[in-house]
Amino acid sequence: MNLTRRTILAALSATALLAPLVAAAQELPRNVRLVIGSNSTGGDTYQNAAIVADALAEKLGINIKVDAVGPTEAFKAVGRDSRGTTLMIHHDQSYLGYLYGVRGYEDIFASYKIGPTVSVNPGNAYLVPKDSPYKSMADILAAAEKGERVRVAIQPGGVSEIGFSAMKYAAHAAAPGSEANLVPVNTGSQSDKDQALFDNLADVINGSIQSNEQYTQLPADDQKAMRFVWITARPETLRKAPEAGMGAMTRDDMLKFASPETSVPLGEGKDFTFDKVFFFIYNKDMDPAIVAQIDEALAEVYADGKIEKRLTDAFFIPDFRPSDEARAHLQEKNDTYARIISEIGEPSN
Amino acid sequence: MEVLHVITPLFVSLIVGGTFVGIVFGAIPGMTATMAVAVCLPLTYSLGLENGLALLLGLYVGGISGGLVPAILLGIPGTPSSITTCFDGYPMCQRGDGEKALRIGIISSLVGGLISLAVLYFFAPTLADFAIQFSYVEKFLIILFALTVMAALSSDMLIGIFSGFLGLLVSLIGTYGIESGGNGEIRLIPPGLEYWLESGFALLPVLIGLFGLAAILEEAEIGVPESQSARNVRLGAGTGFSLSVFRGQIGNLIRSSGIGTFVGILPGVGGSAASILSYTATKALSSHPETFGKGEPAGVIASESGNNGLTGGALVPLMSLGIPGDSTTALLIGAFTLQGIQVGPLFIGQNPVTWDAIIVAMLIANLAMFAMMYFAIRYIARVVSVPKPILFPIILMMCVIGAYTINYGIMFDVWSLLIFGLFGWLAQKLRLEIAPFIIGFILGPSAEIYFVKSLESFGDLTIFFTKSWIAVVLWILIAASVAGSVLLARKTRRAREGR
Amino acid sequence: MGDLTHVTVNFETSHLIFPTLIAIVLVILGLAILITNRRQIAGAGPYWRGVLDRMDKVRFLGTIALTVIYFMLMVPVGDTWPNTGLGFLICSIPYVFLSGVLFLRHRAPRDLLPVAISALVAPTLVWWLFTDLFALTLP
Repeated sequence: MNLTRRTILAALSATALLAPLVAAAQELPRNVRLVIGSNSTGGDTYQNAAIVADALAEKLGINIKVDAVGPTEAFKAVGRDSRGTTLMIHHDQSYLGYLYGVRGYEDIFASYKIGPTVSVNPGNAYLVPKDSPYKSMADILAAAEKGERVRVAIQPGGVSEIGFSAMKYAAHAAAPGSEANLVPVNTGSQSDKDQALFDNLADVINGSIQSNEQYTQLPADDQKAMRFVWITARPETLRKAPEAGMGAMTRDDMLKFASPETSVPLGEGKDFTFDKVFFFIYNKDMDPAIVAQIDEALAEVYADGKIEKRLTDAFFIPDFRPSDEARAHLQEKNDTYARIISEIGEPSN
Repeated sequence: MEVLHVITPLFVSLIVGGTFVGIVFGAIPGMTATMAVAVCLPLTYSLGLENGLALLLGLYVGGISGGLVPAILLGIPGTPSSITTCFDGYPMCQRGDGEKALRIGIISSLVGGLISLAVLYFFAPTLADFAIQFSYVEKFLIILFALTVMAALSSDMLIGIFSGFLGLLVSLIGTYGIESGGNGEIRLIPPGLEYWLESGFALLPVLIGLFGLAAILEEAEIGVPESQSARNVRLGAGTGFSLSVFRGQIGNLIRSSGIGTFVGILPGVGGSAASILSYTATKALSSHPETFGKGEPAGVIASESGNNGLTGGALVPLMSLGIPGDSTTALLIGAFTLQGIQVGPLFIGQNPVTWDAIIVAMLIANLAMFAMMYFAIRYIARVVSVPKPILFPIILMMCVIGAYTINYGIMFDVWSLLIFGLFGWLAQKLRLEIAPFIIGFILGPSAEIYFVKSLESFGDLTIFFTKSWIAVVLWILIAASVAGSVLLARKTRRAREGR
Repeated sequence: MGDLTHVTVNFETSHLIFPTLIAIVLVILGLAILITNRRQIAGAGPYWRGVLDRMDKVRFLGTIALTVIYFMLMVPVGDTWPNTGLGFLICSIPYVFLSGVLFLRHRAPRDLLPVAISALVAPTLVWWLFTDLFALTLP
């Protein structure tokens, strides 16, 4: 009994001792912790991270644990560890939080290394009650222009607010001053936003295809019935979604609410779009060899196609870009949104 | 009955296995039902929807129920929702009725689980429609009602309420969370400590610090005398337990299960409020409220039927609105999306087989929980006869695991455990009262968000009285509870002076 | 009436509303306690001296010291073998053993044996259960 325990322990410490040596070989260590910028293990960030971590771990033959520690702790953890033992996955919130001046967010382009993008959640949307006088985004912008006060329920300081900022920007472009008629109702979770609509505290809410689609199928006399007015995703992203769409809403139905058919203008003939992209964030000093290793491994994973099915099953769109391309893409998004936010006078850094 | 095709031996064994693992997680101080579901969620992808849900629902029911074991035997709530079980279960155990308390708790859990399951099955969509009539105002009043138990739990009303408000204040340290509707700014942090305190103190480390570590420190202070309670535990035939304990408690069982279910239905009000509310109500309505907190079986009944009532209740908004009723059901949404199944107002109608499978799984999980716990009591109860030099270090180590893993690996949570362990010891010396403190701490964040949001949305103080008939009913309950505590305090003071 | 009860909440500073209210109530309650319990508070000095006199200082302070050392070592030790939970395992074994010995009233070899066994078995079992089986992160 004693002997077996001793042998087990010896074996364990022997394998464990190897770990730092492997790390010295400038590769991902055997045991990797993947922290995410969300506290929820039921949310979209966790699901995307888990799907990607599974595939990556299998490809490299290592262990990857996903830990839902939330943005503050995730940035701290990845900032402390340059050995590649801690990686992070987050989405556009990571730079939008900084653009909106939310406490605790740093400029990720300066303080961290941007890794590959992995997937998109195309679901970000805006909804109104089914019996609302506003039938479309055009109605809402026209109402603001006429001087009607339109209350929009959002969670301030990030992904949920960026579409609202774009509305204000469009209103401003159409009739300077009218953006003041678009009033934010600051709420938290999706259920808070839905509740704000039921309580008639908001005229428009931010929501998602996934969580609100069934509400749009309810009969109009139901207090809970809603109607989509805008889906912010790029049309080329939505076209990659399954044709059957989500629930009773087909892909073609979705495209009606997205640019170009539903237009929130950004000027110069372009529409505002927003895809919620999930991507890796690394410690600033992490070895470039590890960056390359992950890029290559993921390229193979995505070429293989199995991950595509898992992602689309959960209504996410695979969207792999290697690190360099990802950084350029996100930087461009960042600059566009920075312009919108500064133009409408939101705090900017 | 298409659901019969779903009920395979695998389905049943996943439920039973899940329930067992859930009980283990619930019974370890600091490990919760949420944690049990979180660690098993990745397994469900390969299991398929019905089988995956079978496992997760087993974990959920087991996890909520397992919390009563350490609450009664060690005075440490295994999960936040078993906090009120401590108040009477532990005193019962100290006077030798540990096994009796366990039996009462387990039977109450079963009844709570079954009543809430029936409610879920028959009334889910209707109740969800009722639940959305509760705006910020009504939710604040519910929390306020739960807070009135602070007064009822204090032995010295003034100090008790002070302790409760201190708990409220401590719970507000850190960020006014954006994800719950706040503005993301920090407050109440001493300068220089922002790095550590910006996320505030997490509930679980505070809970096990105050109840686990503090108790061990108090023992260490008096030199860890050899155990009294070991000799006191009456096992087997001599437990003094018979079903007659429940005589006169039928009303309590039904009311507490109902309250627990209803709290589960209200999105955002939170799991721990369920047992606190049913405990408050039972104490307020009792003809001998002075026995509560000193080993009153009715307290254990209220708490345990309340927190298991939560299980069915929290599934109501999930299944009929797509909105989780508590933190554990929030994870269940993940299981659905991973399979590409939407939950929302049309779910039950569109997925009748899955819906039936969920009900059957909950039923089996409740029965399995009862069978496993009831017949294992004799062995579980022996925990108290383990010598302290062996038991205490293991409890401390388990508390560390619980604190470290509750937010998936944050060392500050472990330090919080120590901070609140020391605070708990100090508080006992200062005659501050821990029970109201922890109630204030648990309910503080929701009290804040609903209070501030009520004013922010309606802009008028009178809204708390004029919002709806629900608000008026809640004010009557609040007034009754406060009046009850005042009368009780006067009665005890007289009794003391008379002596 | 309408004007008196009217309140406007500024979202930017709304994080201070509730803490301020609670703090005001606390101060009032605190003053009330000071007034009603002034005799006891005046006797705080002797009270604390009594507490300290009666205290088993070795066991009480020893528990705190061991716990602080345990917490401080766990992360640096675990960092040598990242994400394996070995920091927890390696620190828990001596911690469980030493605090067990501290709590013992008789420390003959016969009494030490069960403590030693539990110090080896419990952390190892728990470590295996949570890192391997449930894939949780430990230091």
